Amino acid sequence: MAGRDAPTVIFIGQPNCGKSTLFNSIAGLKAETSNFPGTTVKHTHSRVSIEGRLLDIIDLPGTYSLCPSDPAEKTALSHLFSEKPDLIINVVDASVLGRSLEFTLELIELGWPMVVALNMMDLAEKRGIKIDAGKLGLLLGVPVVPIIASRGRGVKELLDEGFKVLELDEKPGPGRRTWSRDVESRVEELVGLFPPEFPIVANRRFMAVKMIEANRLFCDAMLGELEPGLKAEVDRVRRGIESGRSAPAYEIISAERHHQALKIAEESSRMERGRKVPWDRKVDDVIMHPFYGYFILAAVFMAFFFLIFKIGNPLETFLLKPFTSINHDLGRHFGSNILFHIADGIVLGIGGGIAIVLPYFVPLLIFMAFLEDFGYLARAGFLLDTFMHRIGLHGKSVGPFILGFGCNVPAIVSTRILESKRDRIITSLLIPFIPCSARTTVILALVAFYLGPWMALGFYILNILLVAILGRVIASFTKAPSPGLILEIPTLKRPSLNNILKKTYFQLRSFLAFAWPLLIAGSVFLSLLQSFHIDRTINAVLSPLVAGALGLPRELGVTLVFGFLRKELSLIMMLQALGIGHQGLLTVISKEQLLVFTVFVSFFIPCLSTFAVLWKELGRKIAFLSAALSISVAILLSWIIRVFY
Amino acid sequence: MPAVINMSPKGMSLIEAPINKPLRIVDIAGGESVRRRLLAIGFHKGDVVELDSLAILKGPILVRSSPSDMRIALGRGIARKITVEVLDGRP
Repeated sequence: MAGRDAPTVIFIGQPNCGKSTLFNSIAGLKAETSNFPGTTVKHTHSRVSIEGRLLDIIDLPGTYSLCPSDPAEKTALSHLFSEKPDLIINVVDASVLGRSLEFTLELIELGWPMVVALNMMDLAEKRGIKIDAGKLGLLLGVPVVPIIASRGRGVKELLDEGFKVLELDEKPGPGRRTWSRDVESRVEELVGLFPPEFPIVANRRFMAVKMIEANRLFCDAMLGELEPGLKAEVDRVRRGIESGRSAPAYEIISAERHHQALKIAEESSRMERGRKVPWDRKVDDVIMHPFYGYFILAAVFMAFFFLIFKIGNPLETFLLKPFTSINHDLGRHFGSNILFHIADGIVLGIGGGIAIVLPYFVPLLIFMAFLEDFGYLARAGFLLDTFMHRIGLHGKSVGPFILGFGCNVPAIVSTRILESKRDRIITSLLIPFIPCSARTTVILALVAFYLGPWMALGFYILNILLVAILGRVIASFTKAPSPGLILEIPTLKRPSLNNILKKTYFQLRSFLAFAWPLLIAGSVFLSLLQSFHIDRTINAVLSPLVAGALGLPRELGVTLVFGFLRKELSLIMMLQALGIGHQGLLTVISKEQLLVFTVFVSFFIPCLSTFAVLWKELGRKIAFLSAALSISVAILLSWIIRVFY
Repeated sequence: MPAVINMSPKGMSLIEAPINKPLRIVDIAGGESVRRRLLAIGFHKGDVVELDSLAILKGPILVRSSPSDMRIALGRGIARKITVEVLDGRP
């Protein structure tokens, strides 16, 4: 349809309601999903064609209400208003209907075209909740479509209903639902006081309600400048509501929605009593047990480490063999001209990817995806909250930290779920010290491979200890204490193989598309530098640091330059720089040097992408602070190892 | 057996409350941002909740909210500011 833009459809809902899963089943593989509140912290935009009709669909971060309290929720709100959607699809978790409807009622107040997607019907049914979607729709005054997004059920019906609403000529008016008389009459009073030319968002009642309940968000100060008279009236009306019930206005209005939501939930659903305890409750009792829970957490961590090592190690040995022999053949064929260097670089780059990265990287991704899908992250957050307090944070930071084991970049973005700026900064400064999958791979492929798995595990544990100590140090420089943990614990879900494989593929694709070409190009580049002897100049410049301070062979200097691009480049290219095969490594450098090098490279600077995302999310100051912190820690630790090893 | 064990006249903080007993939220104190957060997540004055468990070492507590059957982990600092009363058996 030329000339006519596609209608915009916004997906909005509370955290962990399965919004991204639904979005993905419509848009294909675009948004990441997990069983942890707040995975979608940025909005995802997608243009899709459904039965020949174009739609612009937007997935917003989960938000509990339209009065946001963390940066991710603010993103949701600002997009909701800037996109001016033609249709809102409000995704609702049917298993916590009463709570979720509070937000639905708030959205209905906007008076915009809307369809409710009643998701996780299977979960609700397992919990013994039977919901009459038709009746719920009548009570709410908007169409309600039951769906099971994880299995793609009801998605077609949902879209059909959406199209029907889009085709309506007449937009539905503002929600007709009214509150208790004492509140409602004051709201109406304020509506009547708006000057005729006053800019209105959504509708007059919505504006009035938001001015009363979310004064600080809806530009109180600006209103005071532009319309001092109206500002005084808003304050007067708010005080009127508050004095009647002696509670803050935001609490009174929230309570109004709460009671209506519970009433609607009660009238449209039926609880079957006397059902046996579902499996997830029994499992939860064990994994969140105040005592055994910690043993299980430790066991999960050990399993994480050893499983990946046990799978990766034999694969690495097996896969390295052909590349070593190819290298010999190349030498015989080309001698040592420039073609040899290019070919050698390509082979080393491909080999590094296949034999060193993939054997560890893929199992790690699968394992992470499993834990996320199962819902273990929130449980780990609960269990670790008390320890996080010791380092000046709380359990909600556990989510970003655990994501950091996958990749630091999304982990830093996900700190947007933290309400306080202070917590965001501390967490973001600590994340670059978390061994991401790339570094774990290198730790396993080099340290575990050459020095044994226990050495690698020790390295890993010390790494986590380091994060704790640093957290403590950074927290001691900031004064405001963290407000404390408020974290919803989502229901455990049977991990679906489909979901895990999708997520693994999603991550792997970005490695194959970005990191691997970089690794190959880096290897070729290093080869060329070597063939023209330029590497000697770089090594000479870095020699005081590499040979002097760290006591390493000066040939390794050039690999540090690549380490800024990606950490694993330095370590994999170490072999190339030293000009030896995999078997010969320990003949050229000692175990101590290998350890110093691993430690230094792991910490000396956040990788380029991490640095960029720190800059973008928290500003230049924090990015450089992080880099300075990394360099100091790397030098200090390397020195400690040299002294004590 | 006494006919009615009446609810305690004074409320108690959520961390002192008995485990697995229906409790009614009497008051939520604390700063505005924390209170707003609790309201948004579905924790209101008057709601019936149950204390599921307390983590060791002054860790967080796990609360189940009866109206919506969901679970929330709360840090001790926040839990201390929530006053509840024990209900007498009837929901």
